[in-house]
Amino acid sequence: MLVIGLESSAHTFGVGIVDGGKVIANEKEMYKIGKTGMIPAKVAEFHSENAAHVIKRAMQKAGVEPSEIEGIGYTMGPGLGPCLQVAQLSAKMLAKKLNVKIAPVNHCVAHAEITRHYGKLKDPIMLYVSGGNSQVLAIESKPFHHYSVIGETFDIGVGNMLDSFARNLELEPAWGSSIEKNAKGGRYIPLPYTVKGMDFSFTGLLTRSTELIGKERTADLCFSIQETAFAALCEATERALLLRNKEEIGVCGGVAQNESLRNMLQAIAKEHGYRFGFAPNEFNADNGGMIAYVAEKMLLGGMGRPVSECEIRQRYRTDGARLAIR
Amino acid sequence: MKKVGEGAEAKIYEIEIFGNKAILKRREEKKYRAKELDRKLRKERTKAEARTMARLSSSLKVPKIIAAGQYSIIMERLEGRLLKDADITSAQIAEAGKMLGKMHEMNIAHGDFTPANLMSCKNGLYVIDFGLSEMTNSFEERALDILLMKRSIPAALYPSFEKSYSESFNGHLTVLGRLKEIEKRGRYQIRTLG
Ligand SMILES: Nc1ncnc2c1ncn2[C@@H]1O[C@H](COP(=O)(O)OP(=O)(O)O)[C@@H](O)[C@H]1O
Ligand SMILES: [Mg+2]
Repeated sequence: MLVIGLESSAHTFGVGIVDGGKVIANEKEMYKIGKTGMIPAKVAEFHSENAAHVIKRAMQKAGVEPSEIEGIGYTMGPGLGPCLQVAQLSAKMLAKKLNVKIAPVNHCVAHAEITRHYGKLKDPIMLYVSGGNSQVLAIESKPFHHYSVIGETFDIGVGNMLDSFARNLELEPAWGSSIEKNAKGGRYIPLPYTVKGMDFSFTGLLTRSTELIGKERTADLCFSIQETAFAALCEATERALLLRNKEEIGVCGGVAQNESLRNMLQAIAKEHGYRFGFAPNEFNADNGGMIAYVAEKMLLGGMGRPVSECEIRQRYRTDGARLAIR
Repeated sequence: MKKVGEGAEAKIYEIEIFGNKAILKRREEKKYRAKELDRKLRKERTKAEARTMARLSSSLKVPKIIAAGQYSIIMERLEGRLLKDADITSAQIAEAGKMLGKMHEMNIAHGDFTPANLMSCKNGLYVIDFGLSEMTNSFEERALDILLMKRSIPAALYPSFEKSYSESFNGHLTVLGRLKEIEKRGRYQIRTLG
């Protein structure tokens, strides 16, 4: 089935096209974060201006004509209302014009599902780490097919935590990547480490690390904040694996692009003889490809909807989304 | 030494002391994390575990502690099956609730109260694995114990857990109130922009 997917829940307007489970185009435009911070309405305006040409570019890349499209997916949530609306409205317009069904997709589930696909994972414990979210997920078959959240952050997401710290250091915030660069050669300084069962918390870590700016070397601070945060994520993941008797680990979301985190998870997998998998980086950043991928499964599974029933949900929970069985 | 079990943190070996079977629980090095952090966590948790096991030994079914070192604890060997590997009955989950209530009554929070750390033996249910336990009268920590179990068992089992917990701990209303509050917190986050 040839399906197009639209994503606009945060800074990225992304368009992906899949055909039979294969992503054949994945185009995007990203709103550049200025010093003034982010105003949702401004980002939404950026998305509106870019929607038409990114859609066109994706179709060109995939070599498909609009008339060949058999279904449409868009990010229903979670995300910011004004931003979400752009993909929603574009999807509705396209659906009306092409007379096809729409599948509303959960953004977090899409990250997890595309990672399951590229990582060749069947039934993993999935660590979802992005700016605002950090969750330990597992697939459940009861009472309906979905991802349950078995552990998560009590306060802020690990990506936003690392970015806030980068900003405090006057480095460029980019989902932990500037911290990762500056961590090279750092030594470990003890910092607050909080794991409760399979949940974790990062505000204490951020506060203490910020207090130490100027008193400790930048490399040491970057290394230590990253080590401490990732160790907590890894410990929660490891507990979940043992509790649920799972033998596969996946990692997805923006922070999954961080190599140190991937190496740590890989080490856990090796130690227990588990499989470890992740998706190419273009799918860990926000993108339309993953939305199209999940939408195709949903449409084939009879979960398509008419245009009139396509809403957005700013607080769409990962565990509130039904998965297509395929 | 024969390895007979493995958790997320420790390896479990069977040993013999004066002709009796015992368990050596050793928190092994985790190579994925910084050495200093690794040592600190392993020491702290071994200490917390030994302390809590000793405190609970006369009031609750926990393995008897024989000796403790920096990273290891020698304890009584239990013969049984973990709840996580069995179909949990409502009688078992009620017993678990009662045990947690008793712990909370004694100002102890378990820290990792899941079916992976409850063992069903011939003479009843045992609680194990106190590495994340704390002496505390905090209602937040108590509520977290309940939350963790709630998320680790089928929803249909939870009411009997909560009921027997409430019957064995006087402060249950405050704890359950706090639980509601925690469940709301952070759980419906909007994805923010950087
Ligand atoms: N006293 C004991 N007797 C028998 N088996 C035990 C005992 N303590 C632990 N085990 C086994 O070892 C596993 C890991 O022990 P646990 O204390 O939970 O360590 P971890 O902190 O790594 O989770 C348990 O799940 C159980 O199978
Ligand atoms: Mg355990």
